[in-house]
Amino acid sequence: MGKESTILGKEGEAIAIDHLIEQGYKIIDRNYRSQQGEIDIIAKDGDFLVFVEVKAYSMGSFGFPLGAVGPSKKKSMIHAARTYLMKNNIKNVNCRFDVLAIYRSWQGLSSFDLIKDAFHVS
Amino acid sequence: MLVKVNSAAISGLDGFIVEVEIDSVRGLPGQSIVGLPDAAVKESRDRVKFAITNSGFEFPPGYFTINLAPADIRKEGPLYDLPIAVGMLASSEQVKIEKLKETVILGELSLDGGLRPVNGVLPMCMAMPENGMKAVIVPKENADEAALVSGIDVIACENLLEAARYLNGDISIKPHTIDIGALFSSGYSYEIDFSDVKGQGHAKRALEVAAAGGHNVLMVGSPGSGKTMLARRLPTILPPLSIGEALDVTKLYSITGLLSPKKSLITERPFRSPHHTTSDIGIIGGGRIPRPGEVSLAHMGILFLDEFPEFERDVLEVLRQPLEDGVVTIARAMSSATYPAEFMLVAAMNPCPCGNYMDPTKNCICPAHKVQRYWGKLSGPLLDRIDLHIEVPRLKKEELTSYAAGETSKAIRERVSRARDVQIRRFEKTKVRCNARMLPKQVKEFCKLDTEAESLLKSAILQLKMSGRSYDRILKVSRTIADLEDSEVIKACHIAEAIQYRSMDRGK
Repeated sequence: MGKESTILGKEGEAIAIDHLIEQGYKIIDRNYRSQQGEIDIIAKDGDFLVFVEVKAYSMGSFGFPLGAVGPSKKKSMIHAARTYLMKNNIKNVNCRFDVLAIYRSWQGLSSFDLIKDAFHVS
Repeated sequence: MLVKVNSAAISGLDGFIVEVEIDSVRGLPGQSIVGLPDAAVKESRDRVKFAITNSGFEFPPGYFTINLAPADIRKEGPLYDLPIAVGMLASSEQVKIEKLKETVILGELSLDGGLRPVNGVLPMCMAMPENGMKAVIVPKENADEAALVSGIDVIACENLLEAARYLNGDISIKPHTIDIGALFSSGYSYEIDFSDVKGQGHAKRALEVAAAGGHNVLMVGSPGSGKTMLARRLPTILPPLSIGEALDVTKLYSITGLLSPKKSLITERPFRSPHHTTSDIGIIGGGRIPRPGEVSLAHMGILFLDEFPEFERDVLEVLRQPLEDGVVTIARAMSSATYPAEFMLVAAMNPCPCGNYMDPTKNCICPAHKVQRYWGKLSGPLLDRIDLHIEVPRLKKEELTSYAAGETSKAIRERVSRARDVQIRRFEKTKVRCNARMLPKQVKEFCKLDTEAESLLKSAILQLKMSGRSYDRILKVSRTIADLEDSEVIKACHIAEAIQYRSMDRGK
């Protein structure tokens, strides 16, 4: 299970990047890690700096992608985002957290669900 | 951009202006609310987010700090949803700021951007004109209540979009007005009447005296004799509220959220009958953040305590102070509040646990010590504060089956109103409104007895061994009886009637 889902995730991320570029995002970084968090994709969408979490699903699996971004995942993304902003000395830029869900059918076709501004810092 | 939006809050019984300051910085998206918000205020973040997007606006990016000033007073309730939403829109230049300076904004948001009614609108609006505010934006359901205050334009809105378009000058909304006179002239609409009660002429007379002077009453009688029925009809013989009194009562109901949207002004005297399991806090008011209790909700009206001795002793004893002073001050660690509590106490009880004590037709099965314990619940000081004690005996067969209708409430109310008018003229220059609330000095001044009355009272005091307070009560009640007859001096017959309403003193 573990290996299969990692492969699904890896492949998913590649497809995700293609999709985001198609949507006009400029990819800046991938798999950014801080001590306590990680972000799959960092991109630029217009004026916004966007932190994207990719969730790949094979058709028929349970749950919604947004449901998969729970409090601990949010915390990890927020931590990584803060670290990224600080290390790169980025100030005065509006940021956003997006979640990109990828559904894959057995035939290998994908459909996307990009949720912009999925959550806020509280 | 820093934006300031005016809103309001309640402290005790009075409203004050709260400034909602909103500013944002670019960075990770989020909002924080500061300025002692309670849980409902903190939750407004989520409601505001959806209300903004569902109203067709763009949710502004960046990290928002929302400050509710003054920051040292606790803010509660969801009424800051609308000011926060408007402030965030103004901060992102989706709403113009010109009108915000002299406008107060109140309202809870639903997720679709619609406005829900909030509590305490009347006292908040009362504080606005003196603070230089010209207009108030309120949810439609609160419009009537807000319009009771003169000197401020009431802009009733249905949703966030309407409020925003009004502030932008895209639409103009006519200030909501209400005809206070019409609310009062609608008159009495009670479905019950004193003529429904069969027999009990003695009790009816006593209640008339009580209503005329604002005296407290204790009714003792076997089950089914009509105590509750009589008490429920007492409001129908009380004189109507004046506009000032009605506003006072409405304020109390507004802050407790008991005002129905259909009836913005309470024009009828309140009748509260809390169950005997009610706690002392429920009766007197209180809580971490003080709220008015039943004594305050009965302000200017009647507090009816059925099954009087069944109440907890603590509950009965806390009544003593408001009975005497007409106000309650509730102090808590967080804050303290003073609420008015000028009510008429009407208590009803059985003469013993089985209810048949002293009944000529039925036998009481209670052992003597149980009767004693039942009565022991009522302390002397408490009984002393109740001016009229009436026995309500079981109806005789002939009375039960007769069709003879008694006097109507209207006829009694006219006499009561006349007696009250006499009192209002008498106490014109003081704070006192009725005989029951006379101060010792006023008792001396206004309760003039003729010689016959004086000697009767003297011998009664000696023979019945009455307390000083009892003596005072007799004078006050006899003053009311004399007022009902429009007599300047108190005569022996008035004193005699007043003495017979002190049956519990005589019993001791």
